[in-house]
Amino acid sequence: MDFRFSEEQEFFRKTIAEIVDKMIVPKAAEIDEKDEFPWELWKEFSKLGYLGLRYPEEYGGMNADKVTTMIFYEEITRGSVGFAQSVIMNMLMGTYFIHRFGTEEMKKRCLIPAIRGEKIATICFTEDQSGSDLAATRTTAVRDGDGWVINGTKMWITNGPICDFCTVLASTDPSKGLKGLNFFLVEKGTPGFSTGQVLNKLGCRGTLTGELIFDNVRVPAENFLGDELGKGVVYVGDILDEVRIMTAAMALGIARAAYDEALEFARKRVAFGNPIGRYQLIRAKFAEMTAEMQAARLLMYHAAWMLDQGIPCRKEAAMAKLYATEVCQKVVDEATRIYGANGFAYEYAPQRHFRDARFVLYGGGTQEVLKDFIGRLIIGKI
Amino acid sequence: MNIVVLVKQVPDSEAMVQVREGGSAVEVEDKYTLNFFDSLAVEEALRIKEQVGSGKVTVVTLGTQKSVEALRTGVAMGADEAVLLDDPALIGGDEYVTAKALAQAIKNMEYDLILCGREAFDDSSGAVGPLVAEFLGIPHITVAVKIEVSSEQRTVTVEREVEGGKEILKAPLPVLLSAQKGLNEPRVPPITGVMKAMRTEIKRLDLAALDLPATEAGVAGAKQEVLRYHRPPERPPVKIVEGEVPDAVRELVKLLKEEAKVI
Repeated sequence: MDFRFSEEQEFFRKTIAEIVDKMIVPKAAEIDEKDEFPWELWKEFSKLGYLGLRYPEEYGGMNADKVTTMIFYEEITRGSVGFAQSVIMNMLMGTYFIHRFGTEEMKKRCLIPAIRGEKIATICFTEDQSGSDLAATRTTAVRDGDGWVINGTKMWITNGPICDFCTVLASTDPSKGLKGLNFFLVEKGTPGFSTGQVLNKLGCRGTLTGELIFDNVRVPAENFLGDELGKGVVYVGDILDEVRIMTAAMALGIARAAYDEALEFARKRVAFGNPIGRYQLIRAKFAEMTAEMQAARLLMYHAAWMLDQGIPCRKEAAMAKLYATEVCQKVVDEATRIYGANGFAYEYAPQRHFRDARFVLYGGGTQEVLKDFIGRLIIGKI
Repeated sequence: MNIVVLVKQVPDSEAMVQVREGGSAVEVEDKYTLNFFDSLAVEEALRIKEQVGSGKVTVVTLGTQKSVEALRTGVAMGADEAVLLDDPALIGGDEYVTAKALAQAIKNMEYDLILCGREAFDDSSGAVGPLVAEFLGIPHITVAVKIEVSSEQRTVTVEREVEGGKEILKAPLPVLLSAQKGLNEPRVPPITGVMKAMRTEIKRLDLAALDLPATEAGVAGAKQEVLRYHRPPERPPVKIVEGEVPDAVRELVKLLKEEAKVI
């Protein structure tokens, strides 16, 4: 057993942490306040090449192992969740299907520019009546000559309002439920494809999230992303573990941002003649937070390690997300308590972490769905 | 243009530092980083290399395995090679033996220019750079805020800060220059640099490779001995002058004159 990062992973962690401290942390409050996509930071950051982390070098990537990519997700989220969400969408779900099933031409047109930050990517699962329940997807794709015609409205689409292309989940055969679901590539400028409402969110501000409308959008046959019709949900299953572990990494990133602020505050803030960190009840909070964050971290990196080893980790990935998310809720809550009334003021950071933390409750599957899923795996069919 | 950059891994400015009971040593939290002034030196070396259009940048340090990170950071920024002076006998020395070992290593390299930070954040002596220049028999200019290299004339023109103004000096190559804040803005390592840094082979030199007798290295060769570390004195509490403004100002001026003696 060896619980250490490799020397390379450790060096990567320190380097990316320093970059985050230098480039992102100082802008986090402003990103949240303005709730506008931080184009300048996006250009400056994407230029460094990190968006290609998990892709092969031939596309401008680094072909990094999963543990390394989780280190990245954790650190960048610690900087600013609003910014991290957009970055991670480009790096993972927004480009996954194009990398896996797209033509070389498509990869040149979409994947490589997305890795360079020149194009914004997204994926569209959710609709107003369906989220975790994919079988309720109402968007359809109907075969028409040598292409497909897509109709429907997608909701809660991260990067949606500014995306240059999107991977859309649509049903090619509503009578088949989950087995009728498939993915299609739709690019900006395709007739009938437009953006709708932009959501005003509690947290993760700076990432633009909204509605995408597909009104008789015609795409060529090659835009079907898969090797066989009806396997969309199977493909989702192939990336699900990575997405869940990634969400756990984001939860930890949010928790660490709140924790670091609270620690500094507890060392400096004086009450009754002493820094509050000298009081046992404050110390108890740090003892609990540190232990629980460490437990979440071990679950998360263990699951990522399993992914790297090719060991099935469906349960472990779900547990990592479930637990890290709850720890995150607790830590952001404690941070606001440690700050006292200041935790209630917009002037200080804890309120931002408190709002941002809510996102991981739903991203990557709701906690309720995950618990049910894990419980089912454990108890089995009875 | 071949440039050697001396770097050092130092405690991060946020690391907790405590003086051990009795003052025999300093205990530092495990948070280390490349010395800030050294990152300026690396950046300047890369800019000079880019401007001249040829040559290589080699980062060099003396230390334990922990110091490899400083070298990797240099490579991530763009340095071509990394050298670690790696021998237990080299550890625990002072500026004199450190500079001597570094000079022994550099003597056998091809170099036109040596850059280093003006001082390390941990011991702040600023002596190693100039000592290396002395051991190598080359000139040195410290606290540079602007460096212009003429590869044709083989000279450098250096601007350095002095009390109340600046001084402009010219020196022939090879020369050692130390970097001061304001020289440049160090670059953020791109992922290609990080990849290279993670794969780069660190060249290691031990006492034998350096051709140094053990008596002239580390603790054995040091000219200085640390007797005791002291904690910096605690800052006196802030005094707040209260009362009506005109009276309070009078009182404040009086205190600044008589107590603080700053005006």
